[in-house]
Amino acid sequence: MATPDSTSENLSRRNFFKGLGAAAVASATQKANVVAQELNKHNAEKIQGPDAIPVKLTINGKVEAFQLEPRVTLLDALRNHSSHTGAKEVCDRATCGACTVLLDGVPVYACMLLAVEAQGREITTVEGLAPDGKLTRLQEAFIACDGLQCGYCTPGFVLSVSALLAKNPKPTEGDVRKACSGNLCRCGSYPRVIEAALKAAGVATASKCEVVTMNHV
Amino acid sequence: MKTFEYVNAQSPASAAELVGAEGRYLAGGIDLLGEMKEYIATPTRLVNVKNLPTTREISKSPEGGLRLGANATVAEVAAYPGIPPGLAEAAAEVGSPQIRAVATVGGNLAQHSRCWYYRQRDLSCLKRGGNTCYAREGENKYNAIITGNPCISPVVSNLAVALTVLNAQAVVWRKGKEMKLTMAELYADAWNNPLAHNSLQPGDLILAVEIPAPAAGERSSYLQVAEKSDFDWALVSCAAAGSVAGGKFSGVRIALGGVAPVPFQVEEANALLEGKSCNEDSASAAADLLLAKATPFSRNGYKVPLARALVRRTLLNLAK
Amino acid sequence: MSDWPSNPQYLGKDTLRMDGPAKVTGAAKYSSDMQPEGWLYGMIFRSKWPAAIIRSINLEKARALPGIKGALTVREGERPVYFYGEELAAVAGTSKQACLDALRLIEVEATPQPFVVDPVEAMKPGAPVVFTDAPNLSEAKIKEEGKVDEAFANCAVVVEGEFFTQVQLHQALETHGNTIHVREEDCTAWASTQGIFSVRDGLADQLKMPQSKVRVISDFMGGGFGAKFGPGVEGSLAARLSRETGLPVKIMLTRFDESLAVGNRPSSYQKIKLGSDKEGNLLAFDLDGFGSAGFSSGGRTAGGGGGAGFPAPYIYKIPNVRSKQAGVATNAGSSRAFRAPGHPQGSFGMESMMDELAVRLGMDPVDLRIKNDPFEIRRKEYAIGREKFGWAQKYTKPGSSPGPIKTGVGVAGATWGGGGKGTKAQVTINPDGAVEIRCGTQDLGTGAKTVIAVVAAEVFGLPPEKILVRIGDTDFPPSGGSGGSTTTPSVSPAIFDACTKGLQQLQTLSGETDARGASFLPACRKLGVEPIVMQGEWREGLSSSGAGGVQFAEVAVDTETGFVKVIKILVVQDCGLVVNKLTAESQVNGGVITGLGYALYEQRVMDAQTGVVLNANFETYKLPGIADIPDIEIILLDMPERGVIGIGEPVVIPTASAVANAVAHAIGVRIHSLPITPDKVLEALGRVPKRAAAQSDELDPAFARVERAKGTAGDFVDFIPA
Repeated sequence: MATPDSTSENLSRRNFFKGLGAAAVASATQKANVVAQELNKHNAEKIQGPDAIPVKLTINGKVEAFQLEPRVTLLDALRNHSSHTGAKEVCDRATCGACTVLLDGVPVYACMLLAVEAQGREITTVEGLAPDGKLTRLQEAFIACDGLQCGYCTPGFVLSVSALLAKNPKPTEGDVRKACSGNLCRCGSYPRVIEAALKAAGVATASKCEVVTMNHV
Repeated sequence: MKTFEYVNAQSPASAAELVGAEGRYLAGGIDLLGEMKEYIATPTRLVNVKNLPTTREISKSPEGGLRLGANATVAEVAAYPGIPPGLAEAAAEVGSPQIRAVATVGGNLAQHSRCWYYRQRDLSCLKRGGNTCYAREGENKYNAIITGNPCISPVVSNLAVALTVLNAQAVVWRKGKEMKLTMAELYADAWNNPLAHNSLQPGDLILAVEIPAPAAGERSSYLQVAEKSDFDWALVSCAAAGSVAGGKFSGVRIALGGVAPVPFQVEEANALLEGKSCNEDSASAAADLLLAKATPFSRNGYKVPLARALVRRTLLNLAK
Repeated sequence: MSDWPSNPQYLGKDTLRMDGPAKVTGAAKYSSDMQPEGWLYGMIFRSKWPAAIIRSINLEKARALPGIKGALTVREGERPVYFYGEELAAVAGTSKQACLDALRLIEVEATPQPFVVDPVEAMKPGAPVVFTDAPNLSEAKIKEEGKVDEAFANCAVVVEGEFFTQVQLHQALETHGNTIHVREEDCTAWASTQGIFSVRDGLADQLKMPQSKVRVISDFMGGGFGAKFGPGVEGSLAARLSRETGLPVKIMLTRFDESLAVGNRPSSYQKIKLGSDKEGNLLAFDLDGFGSAGFSSGGRTAGGGGGAGFPAPYIYKIPNVRSKQAGVATNAGSSRAFRAPGHPQGSFGMESMMDELAVRLGMDPVDLRIKNDPFEIRRKEYAIGREKFGWAQKYTKPGSSPGPIKTGVGVAGATWGGGGKGTKAQVTINPDGAVEIRCGTQDLGTGAKTVIAVVAAEVFGLPPEKILVRIGDTDFPPSGGSGGSTTTPSVSPAIFDACTKGLQQLQTLSGETDARGASFLPACRKLGVEPIVMQGEWREGLSSSGAGGVQFAEVAVDTETGFVKVIKILVVQDCGLVVNKLTAESQVNGGVITGLGYALYEQRVMDAQTGVVLNANFETYKLPGIADIPDIEIILLDMPERGVIGIGEPVVIPTASAVANAVAHAIGVRIHSLPITPDKVLEALGRVPKRAAAQSDELDPAFARVERAKGTAGDFVDFIPA
């Protein structure tokens, strides 16, 4: 960490406007730069809340304006202050992955991120993967491999695997397990999530199921 | 969560000023928001410190030392080229991909107890300011087997254990200036103060972690065992660093996580290994010294053999 | 022979889940996703005491909070509390944040009472009583056949063991809850439920409204596993708050709530004695057992089990059997049916003893099972499975695997009823050829919607995707709740019946002799403007019950760290006629994985000092994750002539027993309690310092209490197909 700028050291936040007055009168170019910096910093350090504040989120490419208390999480904003219910609330404690969204392409838990902190980032929910209704290869593969049962965890898995494939188009089974280690499924669809991920990546998998027809008398 | 004010700090000095007595610093938020959702923490202001200059970078000095900005994410640490393998492994075992993507080095080091009594919203255990460490007479399977105080909550930061053996220092903003704390110093207070999670004082802010350049031929290793294969807290973790030259240990440091309120080291164990052949016997002897003072509770005696196994394996890994 | 077509076109094939696209795009709207105009968020206020008398609850401050539109107590006046987390009050407001703040403003006056959460403690003389008017320990239910003591005296080999199974939580990912709008005249509820009609009837009763005025919808629901029937306290509260505010109210439980108050698989303690002759023919069995289903167990419940009973000696036919089972009340949330209620507990005790016996006899555990299993299908399954699994090569002397990481194999069998009846359904055949099925069942994720499409497709000779299936609405013809693996066997015959009648009508009206397949549309075109609407119902001959299954497990146990890794599970399972192979197999995977959780990871942990649940979350209530999943291989036996049998329950039963047997085979020592965690493995191997190893000795006096309890013959779940 660099030594803090001596000017800013002398200018505490509370004394700032006094300082600004003095600096403005001085009108030296060099000082003006300092003032501009300080002003930026001052605005940046504006205390917001605790009541609702304006929050702008870019969700699936569209900007949506909200009035939210700083304590509102991104998940609450999506589900309860908007209609993006694809992200599910299951644990609300960063343990299950059902609320997974992509933040600038990276999977994160929406339940443990304040909505104010998601401003200026590209938020992708499961609804944003196929905006024109044409399913992605991965979504098709989830259906083809039956990589889901009740479907409540599915948006999270689809997003985790989507991010994996974007980074690593030919993953191994181990890569898929690692990428999905933050997503829980209670119906037990894991084996077929793995199959779906590999199928979408064009990696062949053998079916581990066979049917033996028997006569029972 | 209770309501709070939110502010973006631009410098350590203003962050410290803004956080005051009732605020908390917000980085990745995984630990803090978890505590706030349970009303274990009720700060009136969150000071976002992610925008502090130069705290997001990981950089290498010409001499080979590393500087991890406190806001570097755990995922970035795990993936950084040339990171000591013990640290990379410890980082890769933190939480899940979604957690590693936002959780920071500073946050991982400063995280609070995961003892389930401490985290139970309706209890007020010793660490929460109450009178009783419930774990002592209760469900202590995940608790410490060595402690210097009545609270038996163990340290759970993977990075702390790995960084301890790398002789890392935390750069901490304290009372208007930077100071450096070794990992032992960073956690010392948790050893004897039941209320402490670490040695950070109100307003202290971790800015970076500095890892000195390794000695020639130095290796590192980190192993942990949890109940699940992935995304689970370590029951016990172990890190070691040092060299094995000509089949002999040299300059080896070893530390355990999950067994004590601090990354647990015993100098005699490190000293014992010096010049000894790298084999099961010497590793077991080191394990004996590390665990000599262990006094398990009703349900965590298993941590003793588990720690012994990890000490042996981690030390032998240094030769691989 | 069943009445199903003998050379099916779609039955038993892989048919893609009809709602797959909705589920992978987020378009599927669950009850928790509903946002009817003006909806309010609702939350429940719960007891912080495990036992207390509530004197008063003051909601005034909560009600006065900005954003709060309604608040009410569960009950008026003084009331007792029997467990930590019991519902006391609820609030509804315009945001989650308002509700969270309101909950903290509710003031309660209460007198805490003595409590007990550990069943073993609860049985001891002088223990705090859960109910003042009844003992914690129920009278034991006793079953006795033959001459047990005499038979034991004549046994060549007798083995004994004590077993413990934990409390397992359902933990469906979508929590319990509803979005409910009560209007002056009627009510609409979007329910996360396994039984829409059970919710309707419960709400109608609660609201004093005719059942015809209450409509319950469940288009999608996020898992139930047995715990989601009826409106529940949370449904009643949402309905009352909606009535109070005039607005729709959504109450979905938090994960914390879900872990405390909406059911679990009860614990069990089993002391078993099993004897055979020297050829391995089972001769005598004796069980002393008890379990706790929380506050719903114990002396107050008729017969005492309160859901904590389990079948014994499970799937085996033994001439001399004595079984005593009791229930113990504790200050804990009550149990509910959980995927094969009773069976995993019974299986773990009995199948563990079978392996112990096999070792003592020097006999192969598979042979011992085949010898004593009265169910022919399961005997065949053992034979198929042992071949496929390579059992003969893998089953070596127990504990003989080298190295610190030892491998082992185990096997176990299971049974389940899985029949069902009582469904009605309606088919509409439109003049443009569009086919619509309506049925008041629900899809828990099992693929019920798709199963309906397959059956209709089979009858009409149309591709399944051409069938519009509408379910999950009490405006449709009634069907039962989806529990006990009854949905497919109950629904499929009704669909078949309705469609067959519809097809006959179509053929009559159109004059086509065979209106199926390519002839279907031309026939429909002859209908003019009137669609055919035909009702059908469940009838005999298309479904049956009594499924058998076996599972083989292979594990690796790290004897230095205690870590158990399951490498492979082989399932050989009968389910009669396979309707949709794809979704049936998914259910098998699901059963195995829930069984793995039971075997290795899951356990509700309560603190005896404070009476609270310590792991009401997914951090320390550990569900299996994707990294824990072994190679799962499935062999489904298709027996069309048996008709349809449900498969959801039987596949969950034997997994934990097979894994436990594999661990015992690997390390040569048995672990007598679930879940099998590293601490227990190290303890069993004698690696843990003495102080920590002494806990299990407490069991003996507890069993003595069961012995002393007077008992009468009972009726524990004990389904063994002949």
